[in-house]
Amino acid sequence: MASKHFACKALEVPSDAAKIVTIGKLSLGLFKLNDGFHALLNVCPHRGAALCEGPVCGTTGQTDKTEFIYERAGELVRCAWHGWEFDIRTGEFLVDRSLRARSFPVSLEGEDIYVHI
Amino acid sequence: MFILDTDCHNYWCSATVLEPYMEGLFKDMFIRGEKTGPRGAFPHGHRPWFHPEGFARHDVNPVEEDDNYLIMKEKHLDKYAIDIAILTGDEPIEASTLANPYYANALCKAYNDYMIDYWLPKDSRFWGSMVVAPQDPKLAAEEIRRIGSHPHIVQVLVSHGAQRPYGDPFYHPIFEACAEMGLPFAMHLGGQGGVNSTPIGAGPSTFFWETHAILPQSAMTHMASLIAQGVFEKWPDLKVVIIECGVAWVPSVLWRLDSNYRALRKETPWLKRLPSEYFKSNIRMSTQPLEQPQNIQHLWATLEAMDGENTLLFASDYPHWDYDDVTKLHIPPAWREKVLGLNALDIYKRIPRPAAMAAK
Repeated sequence: MASKHFACKALEVPSDAAKIVTIGKLSLGLFKLNDGFHALLNVCPHRGAALCEGPVCGTTGQTDKTEFIYERAGELVRCAWHGWEFDIRTGEFLVDRSLRARSFPVSLEGEDIYVHI
Repeated sequence: MFILDTDCHNYWCSATVLEPYMEGLFKDMFIRGEKTGPRGAFPHGHRPWFHPEGFARHDVNPVEEDDNYLIMKEKHLDKYAIDIAILTGDEPIEASTLANPYYANALCKAYNDYMIDYWLPKDSRFWGSMVVAPQDPKLAAEEIRRIGSHPHIVQVLVSHGAQRPYGDPFYHPIFEACAEMGLPFAMHLGGQGGVNSTPIGAGPSTFFWETHAILPQSAMTHMASLIAQGVFEKWPDLKVVIIECGVAWVPSVLWRLDSNYRALRKETPWLKRLPSEYFKSNIRMSTQPLEQPQNIQHLWATLEAMDGENTLLFASDYPHWDYDDVTKLHIPPAWREKVLGLNALDIYKRIPRPAAMAAK
């Protein structure tokens, strides 16, 4: 069963990068999106790098011709090392959706963010 | 066993065989103009490496034009019970080295008409490759539409030496025409001179054997480019055949492409699959000259990594110095039926399957 852990204050989470917190032995990244806060394990499922320390960004949408439609700005994190793109909300890897970064439920109580692990 | 040779060179003794198929300005140029060699030489920008012994087998010595077929029949087709031979010409792909694309196109047209007239009727085992000069893709596409529907033409052929990587949108009119005619696009080792100025990375190497071993470099570039530029998204049914450019490098390049794509897919948002998946569905490699490591298991593990059972097509390269003998082709025995013939039938759809089945 998940247990609730204090992560950080809401004001500490920027909107253009993750706030890295340590809970017990785990390093987590807290992200602020327009629909609220999200948490990912700060370990990339590819090679174990510090996933959440990479840039928060958008990407080009799938298309059928030679064009570049920039979308999902601020909704993705690129791993700090090899640059794999992950959906911050679901942890899904864009190239292979069967591969996910571990995500955790987040709750907000007043100004306090809690992560359920 | 049904054997289909995907690289059988139909030679001429003299390129003057093309004269009756040329006209006007380009015929004058062909007869009286300067060329690379004496009368009978095919006009092209020559590569700066010369084979110390000439690159044809020394037991193939035609004197008259008809000897070219008779010797091929005796020493290759009949001897090894080849069921089908895809003719890949010889010098005509060197038209890609000429700066004048109109002359290059005229030479290719003449060759195609000569091949259809002279070679295809000679033997029921023959199927033809039509050659185009890629320097002017619109002219090449016109030529593909002119004769590409000939029932015994099975592919469009160019040299792997080129002015830029083949996935470049510059070349897309060629692929559009290939797709329209239902013909594979094939590149064969060659065209490393003239306007194709970058056949070797880092600058020209020195010796022939050294150079010949590393010429697959540009095939790597073409493979990466065709995939990255989305050629197989634009024309999902287009098949590309890479001839005589080596084989064992393929898995390592695919691994690198897949790895980079996973990180940087956003550069090419038109792709929907991993590069290696496009390779497996759309690209085929001819076997000759198949690499020869001391430990055959090293080669077989590599071939397995590129799904060689399904992506390899047997080629002899008759009558060149690095000819591969079909009876000694060192592939896993369980793959022989597919690699020696059946895989090619999936690519060359104009070749009727019943003939192959009967041969079995």
